[in-house]
Amino acid sequence: MDLITNLGIGFATAATPYNLVHCFAGVFLGTFIGVLPGVGPLAAVAMLLPVTFYLPPETALVMLAGVYYGAEYGGSIASILLNIPGTPSASVTCLDGYPLAQKGRAGVALFITAMASFFGGVFGVVVMALLSPVLAEFALSFGPAEYFSVMVLGLIAASVVSNSGVLRGVIMVCAGILLGTVGVDVNSGETRFTGGIQELRDGVSLVVVAMGLFGISEVIVSVRGATQSYATTKISMRDFFPTGAEWIRSIAPAVRGSVVGSFFGTLPGTGQTVASFVGYALEKRISKNGENFGKGAIEGVVVPESANNAAAQTAFIPTLTLGIPGSTTMALMLGALMIHGITPGPRLITEHPELFWGLIVSFLFGNLFLLVLNIPLIGLWVRLLRIPHLYLYPAVVILICVGVYSIDNSVFDIWITLLFGMLGYVMRLYRFEPAPLLIGFVLGPMMEEFFRRTMLLSRGDPLVFLERPGSAALLIAAALLLAWALLPKGTIKRLLLPQKDI
Amino acid sequence: MSSERLGLQLGLLFFLLIAILFVLGSGITLDLGTARRLGPGAFPMIVGVIMIALVVVELLRNHAAPAEWRSPDWRSLFAVSAGVAAFAFFTPLVGVLPAVAISVLATSSANKGVRWTVRGAMAVCIAIGVWVIFVEALQMPFELIRGL
Repeated sequence: MDLITNLGIGFATAATPYNLVHCFAGVFLGTFIGVLPGVGPLAAVAMLLPVTFYLPPETALVMLAGVYYGAEYGGSIASILLNIPGTPSASVTCLDGYPLAQKGRAGVALFITAMASFFGGVFGVVVMALLSPVLAEFALSFGPAEYFSVMVLGLIAASVVSNSGVLRGVIMVCAGILLGTVGVDVNSGETRFTGGIQELRDGVSLVVVAMGLFGISEVIVSVRGATQSYATTKISMRDFFPTGAEWIRSIAPAVRGSVVGSFFGTLPGTGQTVASFVGYALEKRISKNGENFGKGAIEGVVVPESANNAAAQTAFIPTLTLGIPGSTTMALMLGALMIHGITPGPRLITEHPELFWGLIVSFLFGNLFLLVLNIPLIGLWVRLLRIPHLYLYPAVVILICVGVYSIDNSVFDIWITLLFGMLGYVMRLYRFEPAPLLIGFVLGPMMEEFFRRTMLLSRGDPLVFLERPGSAALLIAAALLLAWALLPKGTIKRLLLPQKDI
Repeated sequence: MSSERLGLQLGLLFFLLIAILFVLGSGITLDLGTARRLGPGAFPMIVGVIMIALVVVELLRNHAAPAEWRSPDWRSLFAVSAGVAAFAFFTPLVGVLPAVAISVLATSSANKGVRWTVRGAMAVCIAIGVWVIFVEALQMPFELIRGL
């Protein structure tokens, strides 16, 4: 079978000691950074991105993927022990995890989280291995018009899930696209919007934008939040293991969570937060233990964690096969690939099989490391949470500064990071979300390229986007999504079924 | 428009300004090309115009039902910005490690009542940490202390 051969290629790449060490380092550092309240996976990936520039592409990606789910798990630790979600998707874990911790069962909650994450992660990896080649095959028939339209759909989806409202989300996407046009235009060689500044000729660096908008601005928000430490929970090894009944009760929810998570992860733009919320809501409705949800039900931890990790894996499907990131973190991963000169797209699987399958297999290893690492190290993470924040945040600021500086020993980039940090902070004050801006920034240059190529092929006729069936279907889907989000609830129903209620 | 109202709209007005600058920039300084062969100015112009339209709609909506905004925490904003700026300013002058120490001293002023001895110790520890992780372990080519 093809799959087995392919997984063999993957093992050959991933199981080298060099890659395993980096995978382990990524998971460890990711968890370390993710535990810090307010610093999410995105900031963690951005901070460690410069370090991976020196590595071969597959090692870089393996390490970043480790950072990514390590940080997700770290966020869950902070949610359970402190009730401060490190990430939006971890906020669902707070609902039952924190009550469990208050009952003195923090150890069980953390253990179950690790197991559920592992299960969800592996489930997601399997879905990814099966589905990606199929989707890539399909995507080979895409022309530039379809690519442009699928990006429009992805960007609209990213704006729809933004908390501050769809319109503001789309405005942020536009701002991101415009920011992406700064620098030399590849088609004409002309310099755009640099204001004569030499350093901007290559455009604004992705790391700089991400570190500023997410790193610096997070620190400004969180730095004063804590002069004392919160975590007082004492955990001993003995408290870890759930009872036999709890094990059995967790199996079905873990499967359901993984299925829900795998589905939502593949949709561009929706990602983990939606996956954990939907999984939790669904489980609450069908579980026999539903009335205990919110009061410390084991299932209430299992479902969001398995959903969230399954989604974290399947989010790689559109990212790697279409080149369209499902979330902001995926946008960063995409950026990392492009920095290494690899263009994600349907040809990635056939042209770089070692990279694609190596990544898949390394996900399996990464999830295993996460399990091995976290169960013995929970004590360490708890101790880290006891350190008052005022000692941690100056170190985070330095990590950001040195990280940006190390890209090419340029102080200019740090000033720009500061500028984006301030912008990110002001955006938060005014309820603008930075996430759609970053996705727009990554996709913008590709969209422009496909747009111009389509116009050239169609001899200047913009209607081609609606004449090609694939492209038209994608644009209609985008328009429906936008209408659904913008119009007051029930409007579409009334328009479509006007006589129904008579 | 009262000054309070203006404060609420300031965020949107900022993005309106950005969009207008991009549209003007692409119209004046860049070639728009033809529909068949789009110039470098065409795509930013289209996106900019869409963005202006959306901001105007949102301005009107926001005027009718203003969204909340939080007032800034000036002390945090100033301390963290000063920390980043200190690193950027001092690195070319004195090298990475002293710049790290100065940056830590600046950032740690975000929290009131932290003693200078504690802040000094943090500065030294973090500088040592940077030296160990970035220079010794990762072999980054930094100028540690200028003139050394």
